[in-house]
Amino acid sequence: MVKAVECRDVWMVYRTFIEKDTVALRGVDLDVEDGIIFGLLGPNGAGKTTLISILATILIPTRGEVRVLGMDAFKNTRKVRERINISSGVRMPWGMKVYECLRFYAMCYGITDKKVVEDVISEFELEEHRNKRFDDLSTGNKQKANLARAFLNNPEVVFLDEPTANLDPDMAKRIREMILRIKDERDITIVLTTHNMKEAELLCDRIAFIKDGRIVAEGTSEELKRYTKTSERVILKVRGNVDKLNLPYPFKLDGNSLTVFVEDAEKALPSIVVKLAEQGINVESAKMEEVTLEDVFIELAEGS
Amino acid sequence: MSSSSLQKVLSEILAFAYRNYALTKNEFYAIFEMLFWPMISLISVGLLGEFLYLEKDAVAFIIIGVITLSVIQIAQIDVTYVMLLDMWSMSLKYIIVTPTPFYRMVTGAWLFGSLRGFISLVLLILLSAWLFGFTLSLPLTAMAAFVLGILLSALLIGIFNCILILVFGRRAEIFAWTLSAIVMLFCGIYYPITILPEPFRTLGLLIPITHYLEFFRSFYGFQTVFPDPLAIAIVETVTYLALLLVVAEISMLRARKTGLVLKLSD
Repeated sequence: MVKAVECRDVWMVYRTFIEKDTVALRGVDLDVEDGIIFGLLGPNGAGKTTLISILATILIPTRGEVRVLGMDAFKNTRKVRERINISSGVRMPWGMKVYECLRFYAMCYGITDKKVVEDVISEFELEEHRNKRFDDLSTGNKQKANLARAFLNNPEVVFLDEPTANLDPDMAKRIREMILRIKDERDITIVLTTHNMKEAELLCDRIAFIKDGRIVAEGTSEELKRYTKTSERVILKVRGNVDKLNLPYPFKLDGNSLTVFVEDAEKALPSIVVKLAEQGINVESAKMEEVTLEDVFIELAEGS
Repeated sequence: MSSSSLQKVLSEILAFAYRNYALTKNEFYAIFEMLFWPMISLISVGLLGEFLYLEKDAVAFIIIGVITLSVIQIAQIDVTYVMLLDMWSMSLKYIIVTPTPFYRMVTGAWLFGSLRGFISLVLLILLSAWLFGFTLSLPLTAMAAFVLGILLSALLIGIFNCILILVFGRRAEIFAWTLSAIVMLFCGIYYPITILPEPFRTLGLLIPITHYLEFFRSFYGFQTVFPDPLAIAIVETVTYLALLLVVAEISMLRARKTGLVLKLSD
């Protein structure tokens, strides 16, 4: 079966006349199966936007091979572009209304049927904004218009770069629901970047962590959680002198909040309380949690 | 070519004409730059001619220059908008990711720029006839060749500006407004290029607008440097057009390799 995206040993070095060369990607290998939502996670400057821009044929890598829908992305660029699209940031041509922007981009894909534009306007709930200038829209509606643009050509693979960045929680939730609905209705492959771990867990079938231009981990969110040394944690509110705190488990102290990373929280909790009492530290409250994707992210980002 | 693929090609070309149309419709300044400045230039230069008691032919000489400069300035900016508008809006990557090749983008933008330029041309000729007694002394076919020639020259300047943006990014923005004025300095907009010192005279001869102007002015009795300025103008125009389209493709590839495309989009 043809994969939606395949990357082999992709390197990207930004070269300028004035500044020093910047290595953004260092030998990225990636496979994205057809029909899934694939998440790219990583700290700022990790290379997410560079990678997604290469996959969308916007950038040409310094080295490496990229295949999209089975085609060499840089030998069959036009054919690939007809079948993919990208939404990245909330930008559209200045001085134009929402309908005009969408009509313009539709025409760039050879689409002359105005109904296609009308359909995406209603699919992305933009009816009341169709005659407003793009610049005058709220960030949420700008994002919707950008997503609408990305679906104009009925793409088989869509790249979404931080689709909920800078949105209020309610709008972010609506955009996530929109992405899931469209993915199901259109049966497409989505590759998205995000900083939001909950979003990644909620939307993505598979996730890759990218750090310093390298993919450092890849799998389902459950598989990725196994990357951490522990699977559960105990969060305690403590009182007493914690300067010389000593525990048989890894821990993190933030003021009077103590997080202890353990294999089995229920089993470990009594011994932790006893150890603390021995050191003159009282426990005011305690709760147990499973490790989240965020913990994996922090651990991988810190390189531990 | 099948009718559906022809329709696709036309759609891609007309997309950029449509975008410039939408911008002109929505932005007051776009109408302003098409009518106001050309009229101001024409009236002030025409009045200067009257103040200096220039003969009718000499007035015609400078009026042809004003009209040409205005039409080229208007049409070239439409072509430059292919890159400039997306640079301002930081949305360049969205046109890059479409399947539309660069030459279709500039063709569409040029078609609309030509329409705007042509409207200005007609208005300026009518205004100069009314205010300064300017008359068209050349046959319709010659006039059509001249108009097409200067509109193609605007296309060349517009593509050149796009290349500068693709190579130098935001630093090239200034050229969008100044390049046509610089070109005009060497192509004898208000004077015959024979008065220019070397090497500027030779430089002027390498600019097609020089020969289009000479061709137009030859109908008003002015001497030309070469016997057939129109043929030279056409050869130069076609050569530069082919060259610039190749350089534009190379610049686009380079901008995608260096990451400039992303810098112009963020």
